[in-house]
Amino acid sequence: MSGSDYSGSEYSGSDDEYVGPRGGGSNAAAARRMVEAQQQQAKKAERKAQAWERRRDDSSEEEEYVPTFEEVEDTDVPEKSIQQMEEERKRKRLRKDTKPFQRGIIRHVVLVLDLSEAMLEKDMRPTRFHAMIQYAQEYVREFFEQNPISQMSVLGMHDGLCLRVSELSGNPADHITAIQGLRTPKNPQDFSKEPKGSPSLQNALELARATLYHTPSHGTREVIIVFGSLLSLDPGDIHQTIKDCVRDRVRVSVIGMSARLKICTEIVSRTNAGDESEYVVATDQELLRELLLATTTPPVVRTSKSAQAVASPESAAALMMMGFPSRVVEDTPTMCACHGILTTGGYTCSRCSTKVCSLPITCPSCQLTLLLSTHLARSYHHLFPLRNWAEVHWQRAREKGTKACLACLTPFPEPPPPDDTHREKDTNGHGVNGGMNRFVEQAQMDWDESGEQKASESSRYECRACESHFCIDCDMFCHIVLHNCPGCLSKADPPDRRTGEEMEITP
Amino acid sequence: MNAIDASEHHERVDESVPPSLLAIVLDTNPHAWAHLSSTLPLATALANILVFINAHLASGNANSVAVIASHSNKSCFLYPTPAPSSPRPQPNATNGDVDMNGTTETTSYSVQDNPNKYRPFANVETAILNNFAKLMEGTKESHLEATPTTLIGGALSLALSFIAKATLLHSPSTSNSDEAMLAIADPEAIHTSYVSLASRILIVSVSGDLANQYIPVMNSIFAAQRKRIPIDILKLAGDTVLLQQASDATGGVYMKPERPEGLLQYLMMAFLPDPTARKSLVMPSAGGVDFRAACFCHRKVVDIGYVCSVCLSIFCSHDLPDNLCLTCGSYLSLRAAQSNPPALIPRKKKKKKRAGADSATPGGSTPAGSNTPMHA
Ligand SMILES: [Zn+2]
Ligand SMILES: [Zn+2]
Ligand SMILES: [Zn+2]
Ligand SMILES: [Zn+2]
Ligand SMILES: [Zn+2]
Ligand SMILES: [Zn+2]
Repeated sequence: MSGSDYSGSEYSGSDDEYVGPRGGGSNAAAARRMVEAQQQQAKKAERKAQAWERRRDDSSEEEEYVPTFEEVEDTDVPEKSIQQMEEERKRKRLRKDTKPFQRGIIRHVVLVLDLSEAMLEKDMRPTRFHAMIQYAQEYVREFFEQNPISQMSVLGMHDGLCLRVSELSGNPADHITAIQGLRTPKNPQDFSKEPKGSPSLQNALELARATLYHTPSHGTREVIIVFGSLLSLDPGDIHQTIKDCVRDRVRVSVIGMSARLKICTEIVSRTNAGDESEYVVATDQELLRELLLATTTPPVVRTSKSAQAVASPESAAALMMMGFPSRVVEDTPTMCACHGILTTGGYTCSRCSTKVCSLPITCPSCQLTLLLSTHLARSYHHLFPLRNWAEVHWQRAREKGTKACLACLTPFPEPPPPDDTHREKDTNGHGVNGGMNRFVEQAQMDWDESGEQKASESSRYECRACESHFCIDCDMFCHIVLHNCPGCLSKADPPDRRTGEEMEITP
Repeated sequence: MNAIDASEHHERVDESVPPSLLAIVLDTNPHAWAHLSSTLPLATALANILVFINAHLASGNANSVAVIASHSNKSCFLYPTPAPSSPRPQPNATNGDVDMNGTTETTSYSVQDNPNKYRPFANVETAILNNFAKLMEGTKESHLEATPTTLIGGALSLALSFIAKATLLHSPSTSNSDEAMLAIADPEAIHTSYVSLASRILIVSVSGDLANQYIPVMNSIFAAQRKRIPIDILKLAGDTVLLQQASDATGGVYMKPERPEGLLQYLMMAFLPDPTARKSLVMPSAGGVDFRAACFCHRKVVDIGYVCSVCLSIFCSHDLPDNLCLTCGSYLSLRAAQSNPPALIPRKKKKKKRAGADSATPGGSTPAGSNTPMHA
């Protein structure tokens, strides 16, 4: 299972071309036997862990438990636990880390799709291939929603080759059309890209590296591989390729299927400064979708302590020249420079007055990046993330006396009568403020320690800045969609309003 | 595409008009209303808005309304009436925990028994008037001196959260979170097989400059865009590009009437039709919206700007002191950005031919001839 085995004698004879098409040869068979043998163990371990972990997620297929008013009032113990499980499941989707890290906002991503015969497996419905194609389109849309000034290219590992599905560009429509074209080719001459043969990680990495080679240094260079196979048929030494990727600042994430592979672990950890968390395995299609969509969040910029990082972080930041063009309204259609088709209206480049039909785009004639201020604004929530809200214990709920969610006015369950432990704490001489601060400190510690967000026993979630309480649905909405805290924004000066009646926002 | 979508669809053909939730954000900024008081006093405006609310409620059985005040020191719900939170009063009153169970202050308004008034209208009206009076009573002079603007970002966030929750509760009993996630992940393909709640937001705005809330308001606009909630703007006074952008981005109505005293007429004609009806109407809009950026250093509109790659601040000149970003303080090199070579599109043909070339060139290092260790 070691890396050196991988580049062993089985590969010695493979002086194929760079894009050697001999997918089904004896080399492949040998390689597969070997890798499969390696897999047995890993597979078992993986299954065990995943089956256990996934059990709760499977409950998502059951009907959701929506507590009605009466049920909320009821403080029955077993019912609570069901509700809490449900809330916990929801909160797992929240981003684990909301510390304002520096993130790579300008991303250059190469999405590599596995188009090898392993994708014909039917463990996803209807096949892995179809599921992946569907999710990839969804992914492209979400990616450009989250990263409007980023660029993407799509590659496919097909029959030993690595094909370019779409060129590096910032236009989601291009990528979606190209991905759809994998199933139903637009040109009749195009041969079908149905899954065939073996994949080659090395070819994929080399082509991805070439694609990212000319991208500017202030952007990220990322490769995201969806890898369904348990083997890779490479023409040369993949370790050399990994080295080259590390040198070129390419970070690789791998979303595997059904089992972990040693070589993927190595690729990921070497290109991510030893961090293996970018290698994940999807055991079912729902997880595949989630894992894929998770990569739409811009990656944290590493302050490179490792010797491998050649580029210093200082040279990574740059002042980028960008054009903010104005819209033109025309009565007669004119040719756009980006597609060469007749369109009415569009935008003119601020530098060379070329007409383009949509933004953001790189001016086809002078290479200036053209966008609107709103495109930049879309990325602000990555830079100033809304911090996760804390679970609220019954004691805290009693202290605050909140009756309803601040944002949606849904009533909260009443706190149960306090038990002895709480009373003891209070009579120990801590005032409300003392107790509160202590509690906040405690919760702060909890939060810092465990990145995982848990359910709250009182169904309340508290914003640390404004101390408002929210329900689980508003928690999800505010963190996933809105990125604002309604409580903080509803007060003119939150830090000054800590005591007295000022604390309640609602009259 | 459809053939491979194996997820369950809940087809429920319902011909009826979808219920409509109208969230009104009322800008109650006292400074701005003071300017308007000669033409349109706030009391008159509120009365007009109440008539408008009644018209909205009357146009559909299941229609509902939420009213949020965007005040200068806070934003809060006027309708529905929020349950007051009751923090524990005294530090030493620990034994008083028991009284949390029921004895909370009860709100003091009562619905006047007017037999000539449709009961639901009266309920909404009384609640709004009571809460509004409370809001005004709670406004102190210090609040007014503190800021001349209004907390529109908070009010918008409240409105969006309220709508999101109402939409969740309204949707059929499919797994709500999954549905929500689908909608989040895929705004193009929201499953609209059930009659969903058609929500919209109306902002009655009187305040001018809102630039201090640029980011929260932008976040709200994007959230509304994702959830397909149109934001209508009725601008009675002041001028701000931000709200124009909000209505433009979300497909809402933008109106800036010349004569604010005709408020009721504008409300009834331009803002009463719900999204379903609007499909067959020509709605007023802002026309050309200025989406150009203003630089962070002088607030002047720029055609070509310089953007910090770390924090996305826009500057009008590349001559920054010490090459440090004014916002985040990162060291910025202009050279790296400008000497960016034109994006070459490597051709596959080229790569095949370049076998054995220097491994520093892209795509050159793979063939077995180069650095690959060979075994006999
Ligand atoms: Zn075009
Ligand atoms: Zn140009
Ligand atoms: Zn809520
Ligand atoms: Zn807050
Ligand atoms: Zn400037
Ligand atoms: Zn900066």
